[in-house]
Formats: sequence, C-alpha cells, structure tokens
Amino acid sequence: MKRRLVLIGGCTLALARVLPAPSAAAADPAAVITSLGNEALKVLGKNVDPNLRVTRFRELFRKDFDVPGIARFVLGRYWRLATPAQQQEYVTLFTDYIALVYADRLAEYAGATLRVTGSRPAPDGELVSTEIIRTTGEAPARIDWLLMPQNGTYKITDVIVDGVSMSVTQRSEFASVIQRHGGQVQGLITALRQKIASSGPH
Amino acid sequence: MRDRSTRLPPLRLVLAQSLVIIPLILSGCATHPQSQQAAVAEEDFHDPIEDVNRKIFDFNQVVDRHVLVPAAKAYRAGLSEPIRDSIHDFLNNLSEPLIFANDTLQGRLGYAKDSVIRFVLNSTLGMAGLVDLAGRWGIPYRETDLGITFGVWGIPEGPYLVIPVLGPSDPRDIAGTGIQAFGDPWNRLVSGEPWTLYWIPYARSAIAGIDQRARYLDTLADIERTSLDYYATIRSLYRQRRAALVRGERRNLPPPASFTENSGAPASAVSVSGTSPAGVVSALRDNSEVSAQ
Repeated sequence: MKRRLVLIGGCTLALARVLPAPSAAAADPAAVITSLGNEALKVLGKNVDPNLRVTRFRELFRKDFDVPGIARFVLGRYWRLATPAQQQEYVTLFTDYIALVYADRLAEYAGATLRVTGSRPAPDGELVSTEIIRTTGEAPARIDWLLMPQNGTYKITDVIVDGVSMSVTQRSEFASVIQRHGGQVQGLITALRQKIASSGPH
Repeated sequence: MRDRSTRLPPLRLVLAQSLVIIPLILSGCATHPQSQQAAVAEEDFHDPIEDVNRKIFDFNQVVDRHVLVPAAKAYRAGLSEPIRDSIHDFLNNLSEPLIFANDTLQGRLGYAKDSVIRFVLNSTLGMAGLVDLAGRWGIPYRETDLGITFGVWGIPEGPYLVIPVLGPSDPRDIAGTGIQAFGDPWNRLVSGEPWTLYWIPYARSAIAGIDQRARYLDTLADIERTSLDYYATIRSLYRQRRAALVRGERRNLPPPASFTENSGAPASAVSVSGTSPAGVVSALRDNSEVSAQ
C-alpha cells in the first residue's frame, strides 16, 4: 500500500519534472499555482505516511516558495537583531519547521480540486486567487497566493486562507515567542529546534 | 474510509469558524479571526491583559481537553456523517434571519438577498433546514454577526480578550454576541411562552458548540501540535479572520507588509503600518467579485 503510494508520488513528481514546469511557470504566476496545486493535492494525501508527506512537501516548498524571503519576513524586526550565525541557523530551522506545519495543514485539502479564479497585481507582487472545491454544499475555501518575480520565475511569498495570512500569523507567533524569551532570537531558535526534534524523524 | 477530505474543515474552517450562532466555542479552539493591522504591528498584539488572557486560555484548554473534545468525539462517533451534516445545516438555517439582518445593516444587500433565498428554500424544500439545498445550488452559507456589523460601521475591536469557556473575543464581539442573543428571533419565540421551553436556546447553544468543536477536531489538534505558541497563533488567527469578515471582500488581502521592504530594511514597523490597508482594500474591491454586492 505504502509502496504503491510512493510509486504514484514518484511518478507524479517525475511527470512534473518532465512536463511543462519552469518555463511555462516563468511567465505566469497563475501557472505556478496551478502546477503546484495539481502536484500538492495529489501528493499530499491524508493517507500518505506523515514523514513522506513532509519530505514531499519540503521539495515543493523549496521549489515554489521564496523560503528565505518568507523566513525573513516572519522574523520581522528581529531579523536585524540576530547575528549572522543566528540568521543562518534560523533559516534552516524555519525551512524544516514550515514544511512540517504546512504539509499537515494542506493535507486536509487532499482530494479536493484547486481552481485558479483570478490573478492580479498586488502591492507586493502578484496575487493569484484560487478556490478549493469540495463536493459538499459548503462554500469553497478561498486561498490566495502572493507571488513575487524572482530569477525569471515566480516564487510564493504568502498563502492567504479566507483572508488570513499564514505569514502574518507566523510572524505574530514568532514575535510572541521572542518576547517571552526576553527579546532574544535565541529563544525562538531553541523553540524551533525542540519542535522539529519532537516531531519525529523526517 | 469515509470521504473525509471533502468534509473536513481545513484550515479555512479554522479560520472560518468564528461566529456561529452561538459562539459556544471553546477555548483555544474557538475562533480565529483577528485584525490584519494588529498582526502587522508585530509589537502590538492589542492584548493589554495578556497574562490574564493566557491564564483563562489555559483554563479553557483544560475544559476543552476534558469536556469539549470528549463530547465532540462522542458526537462524531455516535452519529453518522449525514446526520451530523443535517444538524449542522439545520443550525445554520436557524441563524439565517440574523444573518439577513446583519447583512442588511452592513449594506451588503447581495448577501442579504442570498440569505433570504437560502432561508426560504432550505426551510421548505430543504425540510426545515435539514438539507442545505441552496448551498448545493450555489448559494453557500456565509457567516456574519453583529460584531462584524459593528466592525463594518467602523467601531474598533478593542483589546483582545479570552472569555472563559467561550474563547477568543474582544469588546466589540462580546457586545455583538450579547445583543444578538437577545434579538434572536428563535430565542424570543420561546421566551415568555410556556416556561417549560426555557431550555431550548441552551440546548441549541450546546449542540452548536459541539457541532463546531467536532468539525475542528483535527484542524485544531494540528495547529496546537505544530504551534510554538498556541495562544499567540489563535490570537492572530482570530483577529485576522474577524478583520477579513469585516472587510468582506471575497478575495483576500495580501499581507500588509512588503517583503521587499522588509527583507532589506527591517525597520518595518514603520513601513508596514505605512502600507495603508484601506487603499489595498479599495483596490481589491474594484475587481474582486465582491460577490453579490
């Protein structure tokens, strides 16, 4: 069972690599989201082994998200207060942490259909609106993706679910953690390290 | 396996949940909305009595763990999904008159119209609301409440407050919830009448609370498990979600801060608050399907 899933996942990833991928995506932020959505919703099933899911998500995340940019935004003003060594360690930890968090949360959408409903310029890049359509009478979930042009393609910088920005939420949480550690970035780094360690191997 | 994926309240739920008929929601679980601005000014959590709030939050977590979650799990285990859906739809339908009133007060007449259609359709063909026919036909349920109406009128939310058992709130939402409970047509219907019916609103609140909690079991567990500071996460989610409902646009706002500005010069407290959300909102409004409006 598990093995079959791995195969399917592998094939999906392989296909994604062979097919249109970057070139198509380069010009069009909506295309980035469409292809990410198709990959993610297939690959991140609720039934997929959690460790595997995190691994897969991390690949998608690295490919399509502006990880360093998000990491910096989320740290807010504390970025400047951190030493270069801390900054570096933080970005590494953040990448692992965020893969963990999002792989889980996005897994709830597995099996649903993602449809791009529009795209328009936003103050910080390009905002691509999508709907996650479920089969019940519930209103579709609205997820907006903020993308910025980067090296000839577009990278995702924020995910906004029904008006709630994931980056802003994270930033608020991290600021709270730091404040509760006497304003020390090290407190956040330690907390991240512990959280990642306690979340099992991946 | 049941077809959970389609039914499961994903993140949005989490987000979406907030208000419902009777915010009998629990502890941290409750809601999430919260204001973009608040989150933006990272230093200012709008939470002057955070220490007290955290204690109440911890208390709510205990209640949640020992009462609400077990109740919600029993509810989920004891009733089949179609039955739970019907109960949910029925409760939603009961709240349509208030939703209509609030949409009207907010000047969102398109939504108000949708609400009327939903109520009429679901109350009749939908068998007293047990089936959300209107939702299936493309007019989905849209939550709103008096706290949101106050927000639309420009009344500020005030400081963040955690209410025992009920969870995240603020003065604006407390006022809204109180007045709304008083004005609820169904509550009025049974009050004063045969006093033996006095329990009905309480039963409705309790069921609504359990229904809500059951829908967010997995989502909230995920969030709690992955959070570094669950309290802070819920606070941010609550305020952002409430702010989004007040803004009312169908499309979401980009985050208030610019990544570019931010990465370069993190003196962003200034640049951040300098990005006027108002301008962004109106810009978005123009071409968003502000739906029905």
